[in-house]
Amino acid sequence: MRISFAAVFQGKSSKAYVSSVAHGTPLVLSLELNKDRDVERIHESGINTLDIEPVEGRYMLSGESDGVIVLYDLENLTRKPSYTCKALFSVGKSHPDVHKFSVETVQWYPRDTGMFTSSSFDKTLKIWDTNTLQPADIFYFEGTVYSHHMSPVATQHCLIAVGTKSPKVQLCDLKSGSSSHILQGHRQEVLAVSWSPRHEYVLATGSADGRVKLWDVRRASGCLSTLDQHNGEKSKASSEAANTAHNGRVNGLCYTSDGLHLLTIGTDDRMRLWNSSTGENTLVNYGKVCNESWKGLKFAISCGCNPEFAFVPYGSTIAVYTIFTGELITVLRGHYSTVNCCVFQPHFQELYSGSKDSNILAWIPAPREPVLDDISEKSLPQQHLNPAYEDAWSSSDDEG
Amino acid sequence: MDQRLAELVEELTTSGEPRLEPGRMKELKKICKSSEEHISHAFHLLVTRLQEEHAEMRFSAFQVVQELFARSHQFRTLLIANFQEFLELTVGIDHEQPLPPPKEVAQKLRKAAIKAVQDWHEKYGEAYKQLSLGYHFLKRNKKVDFQDVHARTVAERRREEERQKRLDNVYKEKVKRTEKEMEEMSQEIADTLTEMENCFQLLMPDPFNFAVNDTELEPNKQMSVVPSSSHVEVDQSCFGYMDDEQPCCSKDILPVSQCVRTDGNKESDEKQEKPEQKELDGGTRSEVLSSDPALDDDDYQTFVRNHGLISHKYTLDLEISTDIKVQENEDNTAIINSVMDAHKLLRNKFWPSVQSWIQLLTRAGVNDDRLRCAIELKNKLETAMKKYKEMNISFKARKRKVMKASDDDDEDEDEDDFVEVPEKEGYEPHIPDHLRKEYGLEPQAAPKAPVGKVSAGPAPLSSRAQPKGNEDELDPTCAAATLKLIRDKLPKLPPPHTSESAAPEAAALEDPDGKRRKLEEERAKAPLMPFGLDLHYWGEDQPSAGKILKFTSEHRFWAPSEVEEEVENKEITEMLKTRYITFAGKFEPVKHKCRAPMPDGSLCERQDRVKCPFHGKIIPRDDSGIPVNAEDRAREEKMRFEKQAAQPEWRDPEFMREVEAATGLDLGSSKNNGKGQKKQGKKKKYPNLTDLKQQANTSRSRLEKKVFNKGAMKRVVKAMNRVDQRKHEKFANQFNYALN
Repeated sequence: MRISFAAVFQGKSSKAYVSSVAHGTPLVLSLELNKDRDVERIHESGINTLDIEPVEGRYMLSGESDGVIVLYDLENLTRKPSYTCKALFSVGKSHPDVHKFSVETVQWYPRDTGMFTSSSFDKTLKIWDTNTLQPADIFYFEGTVYSHHMSPVATQHCLIAVGTKSPKVQLCDLKSGSSSHILQGHRQEVLAVSWSPRHEYVLATGSADGRVKLWDVRRASGCLSTLDQHNGEKSKASSEAANTAHNGRVNGLCYTSDGLHLLTIGTDDRMRLWNSSTGENTLVNYGKVCNESWKGLKFAISCGCNPEFAFVPYGSTIAVYTIFTGELITVLRGHYSTVNCCVFQPHFQELYSGSKDSNILAWIPAPREPVLDDISEKSLPQQHLNPAYEDAWSSSDDEG
Repeated sequence: MDQRLAELVEELTTSGEPRLEPGRMKELKKICKSSEEHISHAFHLLVTRLQEEHAEMRFSAFQVVQELFARSHQFRTLLIANFQEFLELTVGIDHEQPLPPPKEVAQKLRKAAIKAVQDWHEKYGEAYKQLSLGYHFLKRNKKVDFQDVHARTVAERRREEERQKRLDNVYKEKVKRTEKEMEEMSQEIADTLTEMENCFQLLMPDPFNFAVNDTELEPNKQMSVVPSSSHVEVDQSCFGYMDDEQPCCSKDILPVSQCVRTDGNKESDEKQEKPEQKELDGGTRSEVLSSDPALDDDDYQTFVRNHGLISHKYTLDLEISTDIKVQENEDNTAIINSVMDAHKLLRNKFWPSVQSWIQLLTRAGVNDDRLRCAIELKNKLETAMKKYKEMNISFKARKRKVMKASDDDDEDEDEDDFVEVPEKEGYEPHIPDHLRKEYGLEPQAAPKAPVGKVSAGPAPLSSRAQPKGNEDELDPTCAAATLKLIRDKLPKLPPPHTSESAAPEAAALEDPDGKRRKLEEERAKAPLMPFGLDLHYWGEDQPSAGKILKFTSEHRFWAPSEVEEEVENKEITEMLKTRYITFAGKFEPVKHKCRAPMPDGSLCERQDRVKCPFHGKIIPRDDSGIPVNAEDRAREEKMRFEKQAAQPEWRDPEFMREVEAATGLDLGSSKNNGKGQKKQGKKKKYPNLTDLKQQANTSRSRLEKKVFNKGAMKRVVKAMNRVDQRKHEKFANQFNYALN
């Protein structure tokens, strides 16, 4: 069973990978704000979180800071180039089970689209039935929920890791409907949690105390390892700074798609890449990654490209880095306010981003110029050019 | 060409004009047209200009941007890529980064920018995604109302709202207070109004009352009312009478038409009218005796015949003057007094406060019963006051109220309050001279005075008595006031003659008028002095004054060898006779000016009395500031010469400045001659733009600079610490000071 699912993922992503490689350069590099693609404007306050279901890559969930959850259909079936992603439904303000406060994380059930989860500052985690739009189960916590995650590859368990205001990481079991475990070790609130896409029992958590811990949930005694930014060399300098991944709060975690590396981001304006099996800091320098968020930050890593890229919210822009060299490739400008989250759609190599200005923007790879094999075709695009793109200098010289 | 482009942008943006200069703009466009590189260069130049903290500069830059935006795709792409920054700089969407001063221009810039964004969105929105995103962002997130002419952003609106809210709160508080006040006062007002109304009724019965309600009222009864209000001008009551009886014409006509009326009847009517006529003084009564046009011919004939009239067309016009006069007399004094008091209360207390309530309520936008209530009160007050005015009460000269008690009948009751004290036997009242007036006695004759040692001269006595008497009369508790009243009542009584004044008056009997006038003149001239000990003992020789009595020791053994029983102390004696008069002189404003020539060509305007702090002793000068006196001129010349000599020839400031300009070194020429030149040296970079520093240069900011100067602060802190320290040292052993 596990193999079959893995094969599905492999198949999907490798297709995209092949397509991108065939063209020579990754499509991701030509991401741009496409005028043909729009996402319906439903939200009225900032977008905190986005998630695209991994099965088809067709449906996207968005969580808003006033508690509303909206589901979009991303697929363009109209056969026209311009398409507005429609909102299929939403858990709006009038819904009886709507979250009272800001929705911090939404996630699809990794297996199918019949279920999704959402967690919010109203201290709840809700499991939704997509078809009836009713909550199937609600977990209550003592503190606000910053982040939750379900393992994308787990076959033996059905655990949701939840990071809340308390330093203990909670594990909720969907099978029994109870909070089964508590992982103790952090000293402050847990802002980010992420399951490894490679090992189903491995969980990474990032906390406001600056530490990133890797856990094996089968072990009750403690964490596997705590990531150390200095790789143990300078830790003797002060015991307090020992074993910290960042000098500020760690508010973002993301595994690479193969699960071999872990990318973390903290309020010390740094991003670090770790070898997830050894827990070693790879010391890739990304430069300053501006990060002023006091809660979790959702960033994305491309999938199926070579090399891989990270899309990181950077103020009101999105910075694109190559993961292994730390090079800043480009900056995507389009939002007018702080960007809160990015999500990558691997099948079409598209990126969606949500921001405080309540816009969801679709970043689509620019259409490739048609191969110039015919001269007659060369002049064609000129004619199709939007009249708005034309210059309008007055013709006579003296008028200027 | 790049050079030229930069120059053009600078010139265009620093012109400070509301419109771009077309020639330069044309040139700029021409350059931009030539290549894309120039466009991007121009774009960057403009963006730097947009970032300047000066609204005029931004506005001009924005106008250039607008021109180029409409023309070049390249420029549009560049601008839209940085659209957020552009919005921040022109619309001011970031509340932490408001548009720079001057304010009016900033407002204009914002308006223009918003309009431009809208236009651009309409024209290019489809093609440039980010532009439409920006438009929607402004519209939805920043809530910019594109129709709103004032183009206020959310932040501004919120600020406005907050201010409004604060105002509202203040008003609410005030309204509450007013309401309370109203509650408290309206009862009082109502009472006063009722009182006044009643007084009016008493003074002058309301004719309409009789007309409307009192149809059954007999004239007798009414007559009984009239005397009660006695000297009210009776025409008002007359009205009542008339109304009651109905005007005679109507009385006549109706019965005539019914042929019931007889002549005798009419005669009696006329008789009845006569006494009324007599009572009418001042006011006349209008009464139109005319035929009723409705009468038809037969009736007309009968009417004429019956009455023995020749014509039917008699008209009799009687004018009734509506002005009423109420004369004050003994009977209604009390009423008039209370009316007057009530009126005073209304005018001075209630009326202003009711006025202020209404003002406040309208300003606070209260539109309910409270306002209505207040307006009603106001109307009532106004009618009452108007009525009072119409009454035209002619007062007797107001006297002290205490005095009036003696006029009134209830004097006896008043006197009952006093306890009868038996006459003291053998008591020979001696009232000192200066107090006699107060007791209502004539100044005592000198020879008759039992204790009076020496008679004082008549002149000082009278001069003293005059102001004193006045003072006393003002004091109602003093008997002198009573006396004055009595004296005023009996003006024909011969002026009291004092024995002192008898002799001189006898001498001047021939011309008493001239004498009196003279006396009066002198009195007018005589200074008014405050009362003092010297006046107290004026002209009296105090035998015991200045004497210190020493008691002899009554001890059996211990006694001083010699005891002087009385010691004369000259100083004390003197003190009783001296008066200190301080003479500070009178302030005379300085009329002259210093008028020394100043470096800027004007004359010194200082008005010092003797010496100008800048130009020395003030001397007479002519119109151009040159001293009039030759020696002064020479002295000034000399001074100037000396000053020049003190400064070596080569340090001539003009020359120095030239050298400095040539070499670029600071040789200190600016130090030499102070502030004037320093200002000249500093040249404004962009003379056309509004100087923001100038605007910021208010008295407040200058004071701030002085007060919050670091050095000054340090000094003050040090001084205060020192004081604290000292206190600490002094009181360190006391626990409540030890903490400081």
